[in-house]
Amino acid sequence: MAVVLEVEGLKKRYGSLEALKGISFRVEEGEIFGLIGPNGAGKTTTLRIIATLLTPTEGKVALLGFDLRKNPDKFRERISYLPEEAGAYRNMRGIDYLNFMAKFYARDENEVKEFVRRAEKICDLGLRLKDKVGTYSKGMTRKLLLARALMTKPALAILDEPTSGLDVINSLEVREMIKAFTREGVSVLLSSHNMLEVEFLSDRVALIDRGIILDSGTPQGLKEKYQATNLEIVFRGALQ
Amino acid sequence: MKNFSHLLIKEIKELINKQLVISLVFILIIFNFIGGISKTEMKKAMAKQKIAVLDLDKSEISRNIIGALNLANFIIEEKTGEKDKVINEVRHSDLDLLVVIPAGFGQEVTNFHPGEVETYSFLRGISMSGSRKSEIVKALLQTTNDFLSNEYLKKKLPEMDPKLVKAPIKSREFIVVKDRTAEGSSSAVIGSLYAQSFILPVILMMIIMYSSQMVITAIAMEKQNKTLETLLTVPISRTAVVLAKMLAAGIVGLLSAAIYLYGFRNAFSFSSGDLAKVMSGVTPILKQLGLVLNTPDYVIFGLSLFLTILVALSLATVLGVLAEDYRTAQSLNVPLVFLVLVPYFISLFADINTMSLPAKILVLAIPFSHPFFAMQNIMFGHLKLLWAGIGYNFLFMLMMLYWTVKIFSTDRVLTMKLKWGKKRVVI
Repeated sequence: MAVVLEVEGLKKRYGSLEALKGISFRVEEGEIFGLIGPNGAGKTTTLRIIATLLTPTEGKVALLGFDLRKNPDKFRERISYLPEEAGAYRNMRGIDYLNFMAKFYARDENEVKEFVRRAEKICDLGLRLKDKVGTYSKGMTRKLLLARALMTKPALAILDEPTSGLDVINSLEVREMIKAFTREGVSVLLSSHNMLEVEFLSDRVALIDRGIILDSGTPQGLKEKYQATNLEIVFRGALQ
Repeated sequence: MKNFSHLLIKEIKELINKQLVISLVFILIIFNFIGGISKTEMKKAMAKQKIAVLDLDKSEISRNIIGALNLANFIIEEKTGEKDKVINEVRHSDLDLLVVIPAGFGQEVTNFHPGEVETYSFLRGISMSGSRKSEIVKALLQTTNDFLSNEYLKKKLPEMDPKLVKAPIKSREFIVVKDRTAEGSSSAVIGSLYAQSFILPVILMMIIMYSSQMVITAIAMEKQNKTLETLLTVPISRTAVVLAKMLAAGIVGLLSAAIYLYGFRNAFSFSSGDLAKVMSGVTPILKQLGLVLNTPDYVIFGLSLFLTILVALSLATVLGVLAEDYRTAQSLNVPLVFLVLVPYFISLFADINTMSLPAKILVLAIPFSHPFFAMQNIMFGHLKLLWAGIGYNFLFMLMMLYWTVKIFSTDRVLTMKLKWGKKRVVI
C-alpha cells in the first residue's frame, strides 16, 4: 500500500522539556493508525506538528511526498484536524458552519454542496443543523466537528481523542462514523488514551510514552507478542 | 484571495452580533434622549419667557425699561403691592425672575444720581433658561446705562462725542501666523478652530478604541470557543488570517464609531449648520491666515490616521493572542485605552510644540499621539514633526505587523500566555 504520511526522527522541545525524543512511524493509504499512551506521552504534540500547528525541532514529516517545513500550505490542503478540545462558532447555525469550512477546500460551489451533503450524512443531525451551534450538546458538537473533518475526504484525517468527553452512546456512534468513513479509502491518524477504543478502531497502533514510541504493529500482532488479552496489558508489557 | 474574502465576511459577521447591535441601538436611544432634553431646554431658553416686574416708580424711564424688556422677548407680568409681599408671591409661583424698580428711580436717574434696579432670581434647579433671563436683564440695564450716560455727557459736554469720552483708547487686534497677518480677534479665531476640530479627537479616540477592542475580542473568542486551532489548520495563509481579523475589526470599529458619533452629534447639536454659524464670521480671517485645510492636507491627515489604526490593530492582535478568554481580553484592552486617552486629553488642553522636551518625547513615543496633533501641525506648518510622526508610525506599524504575522506563523500563537503573577510573557 502507498505511504500517505511518513514521520522520521521527530523531536520537539519546549525550552528544556523534550516532549518528543525522535519518533518515527508511517501511515498507509486507507488505514487507521492509532497513537496510544498516557496523558503527557506526546500524542497531541505529534498530531499538532502534523497538523502544522507546531514546528518540529528536528526530524522529517512528509505527506504524500510534501515536506512539512517546506510546504505547510500543501499539508493544510490535504489534511483535516480535529483537536481534542475543539469547538465551532457558537453564533453560526450548524449548516452554516459546515458551509463555511467547506469553502476553504472546495474548488467551486458544486463541490461545497457535495462536501456539505456528505457532512450532513456523517453527522446525522437532521433538522438540528438549522439551529445555532451554541444550542448543541457536547455530543452533537463533536459529531458536527467530526463531520467537518471528514467531509472533504482528506488524504489524512488527524483526530485527537475523537470521543473525548462523550457518553457511551455518543462515543459508540462516533467510532462507527470513523470506521465507516475509512471504508471510503481515507487514512486516519488518531490518538487516544482509551486503549480499548484504539484497539477497536485501528488497523495499526504505536505505543508512545514520554516522547518515545515503545512498540508498534497491528493490535492482534501486539497482543500475541506480549501474550496479552488487550492493549492495556500490551502497554504495560511494553513499558517493562 | 477567495479564501481571504470568505474569512473576512465570517469575521465581520461574527463581530456584528446581537450584543453589538443591541448596545449600538441603546447608545443611539440614550443620545437621542439626551439630545431631546437639551434641545427642549435650548428652545425654552430662546422662546418668549415670563418674568415678573414690580414698578414702584411709574416714571417715564421705568416705563421705558419695561417696554425694552417687552421688546427683548419677555412676557411681562406686572405686579403691584409691597416689595416683600411680591417677592413672597413670586417665590411660590412658577416665575423665576423678578425685576423691582423702586419708587423715585426715575427722579434719581434724571438728576444723574445712581438709580437702583433690583433683580431677584429664584433658583429652583440648574437650567439654561434660568441663567439666560438674568443675563438679558443685565444687558438691557447696561444699554439703558449707556443711553443715560450718553445723554448726561451730551448735556454737560455738548461739544464732545460721548463715545470718545467713555472710550478714549481704541484697539485694533492683529493675528500673525507664520508669515501671514490678518486683522481680527484671536480668541474668535481660536474658538472657531476649536469648534471645528473639537470633534476630531473624539472620532479618533472612538475609532482606535473600538477597533482594538474588536480585534482583541475576536481572537480571544476564537481561543475561548476552541476554534482557533481548527482555523489555523485550514488551507489559508497565516498572514491572511491575521489581516482578515484586523480588517474586519477595523471595518466594524469604524462603523461602531460612526454610529456612536452620529448619536453624539445629535445629542450635542454639532450640526453642520451650527458649525457654519460659528465659522461664518471668522472664515475670511482663517483663509487670510492660511488656516483653512485643503484636499492634500486632509490626505496627509488621513494617512496619519490610517497608519495609527493599523498600529492599534496589530498591537491589539498581539494582545489578543495573549488573552486566554473574553474576560482576559477586556483587561488587556485597558492599557491600550490609556495609551489613547493620554494624547486625547493632552490634545484638548495643551500644545505639543510648547511642552518640555522630555514630556514631548514621552507623548510622541506613543504612536496614537500623532494623529491627535496632526491637524494642528498641518495648520501651523510644523511639517517636520508631522512627517516624523507619519514615518515613526509607519515603521512602528511594519514592525508590529511583522511581529504579529510571525507570532501567527509559529507555535507562539498557541503557547504565548501572559503570566500576571510573574509579570512577564512566557513562551
